Amino acid sequence: MIQCIELSEGVTLRLFQDDRFKQGCLSLQFVRPMSRQEAALNALLPNVLLRGTAKTPDLRSITLRLDDLYGASVGPLARRAGDYQLSGLFCGFIEDKYAQNGDAVFGPMIAFLKEILFMPRLENGAFPEAVVESEKKNLIATIESRMNDKRAYAADTLMRHMCSTDSYGIPRLGDKADVAAITPRSLYAHYEKLLREGRVELFYVGSAGAETVADHLRDLFAGHERKIAPLPAQTGFSNVGGGQFEETMAVSQGKLAIGYYSPITQRSEEYAAMHLCSAVLGGGMTGKLFVKVREQMSLCYDIGAVYYSSKGIMTVSAGIDSHMKDVVEQQVEEQIAAICRGEISETEMESARQLLLSALSGVDDTPGNIEGYYAVQALTGGLLSREEYMEAVAACTPEKVAQAAKTLRKHTVFFLKGVAQ
Amino acid sequence: MIEKVYPQLGETVFWETLENGLTVAVVPRPGFSKKLCYFVTDYGAIHTHFTENGKEIVAPAGIAHYLEHKMFDMPEGEISGQFAAIGADVNAFTSYDMTAYYFSCTGQFEKALSLLLRFVSTPYFTEESVEKEQGIIGQEIEMNADSPDTAVFERLMGCMYENHPINTPILGTRKSISEITPEMLYTCHKAFYSPENMLLCVVGDVDPVTVCEMAREVLPKEKKEKTPRVDHWEEPATVLRHSTETEMEVAMPLFQLGFKCPDPGRGEEAARQEFVADLACEALFGESSDLYLRMYEEGIIDNSFGGGFETVAGMGMLSVSGDSDDPEAVRKAIIAEAERLCAEGISEETLLRMKRSAMGRRIRALDSFNSFIFRICAYYFSGFDYLHFPAIYERITANELTEFLRTAVREENCAISVIRPINKEEKK
Repeated sequence: MIQCIELSEGVTLRLFQDDRFKQGCLSLQFVRPMSRQEAALNALLPNVLLRGTAKTPDLRSITLRLDDLYGASVGPLARRAGDYQLSGLFCGFIEDKYAQNGDAVFGPMIAFLKEILFMPRLENGAFPEAVVESEKKNLIATIESRMNDKRAYAADTLMRHMCSTDSYGIPRLGDKADVAAITPRSLYAHYEKLLREGRVELFYVGSAGAETVADHLRDLFAGHERKIAPLPAQTGFSNVGGGQFEETMAVSQGKLAIGYYSPITQRSEEYAAMHLCSAVLGGGMTGKLFVKVREQMSLCYDIGAVYYSSKGIMTVSAGIDSHMKDVVEQQVEEQIAAICRGEISETEMESARQLLLSALSGVDDTPGNIEGYYAVQALTGGLLSREEYMEAVAACTPEKVAQAAKTLRKHTVFFLKGVAQ
Repeated sequence: MIEKVYPQLGETVFWETLENGLTVAVVPRPGFSKKLCYFVTDYGAIHTHFTENGKEIVAPAGIAHYLEHKMFDMPEGEISGQFAAIGADVNAFTSYDMTAYYFSCTGQFEKALSLLLRFVSTPYFTEESVEKEQGIIGQEIEMNADSPDTAVFERLMGCMYENHPINTPILGTRKSISEITPEMLYTCHKAFYSPENMLLCVVGDVDPVTVCEMAREVLPKEKKEKTPRVDHWEEPATVLRHSTETEMEVAMPLFQLGFKCPDPGRGEEAARQEFVADLACEALFGESSDLYLRMYEEGIIDNSFGGGFETVAGMGMLSVSGDSDDPEAVRKAIIAEAERLCAEGISEETLLRMKRSAMGRRIRALDSFNSFIFRICAYYFSGFDYLHFPAIYERITANELTEFLRTAVREENCAISVIRPINKEEKK
């Protein structure tokens, strides 16, 4: 289903041609190795580009243009794909056939994307200082606001402790201090560097044919002399540090986050088994943790497990009464031990299998899901296509799940403890 | 069965009303593997006051949500395992004015539909299971108490509404839910889960006739009259208090601002008022407005800023929220800008552009199964066929927008709720 076209050196266009939708989408991303030096710069750049171009100089004029394109949207992208950081722009737009009076949307949308990327508004040979400072302030606020959602905060903090020497320990949007240190000049130099040597991934979902889309995008880096540095290969978990960490906050509910690692990643033969293991343990309303800790013991409202397949990390998180931490942690251990002993009922196994299969087959149902799934998958080095992977999930046995569970090692526990205000 | 076609939107909806009073809506989605099914009752957190068998009942706050949790219990055990076994993902939510049970699946749709119809129409509560839920919902209440977005909204409602039960949390309180018994749950189920009070809606590649046949087969045959209930609350036009403020573990201050509006009522006229209000908000503080640009460049708002018109049965308000170091400055700027806009008017060109953009965004949103089905259901209960939105936009005039702003955006019907970071220095 996915077509792949090399437009020029280091510029790859992937397409998912589909005429079932009322909207199309196009993403443009620079692929960079996640690093402390660059993370904040990569995260900030799209926000600054979206503040105005030489021709469309401010937020208001940008929105006016998007309004004319039937409420199209252009937003910043900053995401993680294994050890890589993807940063760029995401456009969503109505399919031409739903516009009135034969108006075209797709062509002008791409022209506007090019304008945003290549014709930034500049002052004295760099991005305008006021714009950079204002977007730095906003990005720092976004980073700090992660603490407003205590569950997300606990998950982030766990990752930071667990991956102190690994790319997963670097926050997706960079560190506050690194954002604060950015200047209009340093950001502009980074922008020029990306244009010169950044690998670019484009992803299109919509009704237009491959050649039409490629024709619109072929001249993207024309006139730029580019030399692309190869990307390092994706890596598994490096076992450094770990232990027990605790922080207190004036909250009613404590948040427990536990991190495990395994040599199994999405690049391993046993990928499906480990993915199923996390679903048997903590997937949906039929996972062992939900049934035991919530339904039987009434100790929490939410509990679940997540498998970070590119890195080989599995985390468990729960919102609980602070004095029940040890009880819940003990239960999590016991449920994992039960999986290792092969105590997986047929219902548990089938429910977990169906949960994954259903999620995988639902990937094709919205343009955003398609883009989000394939644009990341293309870079994380998985061995199987989506269809092949679904077959692997369908064929996996409880014995293999138990084998996968035995490779799990507990690494880090983070507890956000609630104290009376 | 009625087949309604909306050529401009490329949509078709099949509507049917069964003998027992249930309404069924099916939106075909050929070529899609996913199917999404909502079974919804016109009953939510605000409907605590009703008459059943001639007896007036005032149920504890939070009962609709408690009932939603307990519906998953069946004589044979908790039901979600049966959905999971056939690859369907089941869940539910309770809002102020509706309760929805839903599943999504790719295969075995009919089995899943049969399960959904059966469990939502089978009340089964025991002392023990109702007691056990106290712990789970208690934790949900704690989780909400720690959520700044929930807190800022609930505190705002407390300021704005004297009588409308939106001033009470959907989940209720630990105390109110402790009063809930199996008998009360049975009474509420009987009162509000009869087919007449419900809508079954499916989006996906399914046969509408089969959906209706299955509903006929599984659900009760008899038609029950709608339960009389309180769904209108006398409200003063002005707010109770103009501001509320508290401290929580947040990074920077966040605020929500509300302008109390008259109840838009039901039906097409209400939907039209809502669309007018949304366009007026766009003109006043949307991303293409002068005000948004000014506030963003001054740094008193960031991209978390946004707002629009919100309705719950019996009430309507204009709401604006976001993070800001100076929420009071945002409030003042909005009121001042509304006055200016009303004095100067909104041009035809601006109106056209805003309409085109709003229409485009609504059409794009139809791609999302979740947002589409939610809108169909919510508008159905307020008496409007959502897919008529293009016709509504066509008739809206610029004067209506300014007229709305003139009456809505005023000091006397405005309240602001602010959550500030805990001042740790002061506490020491």
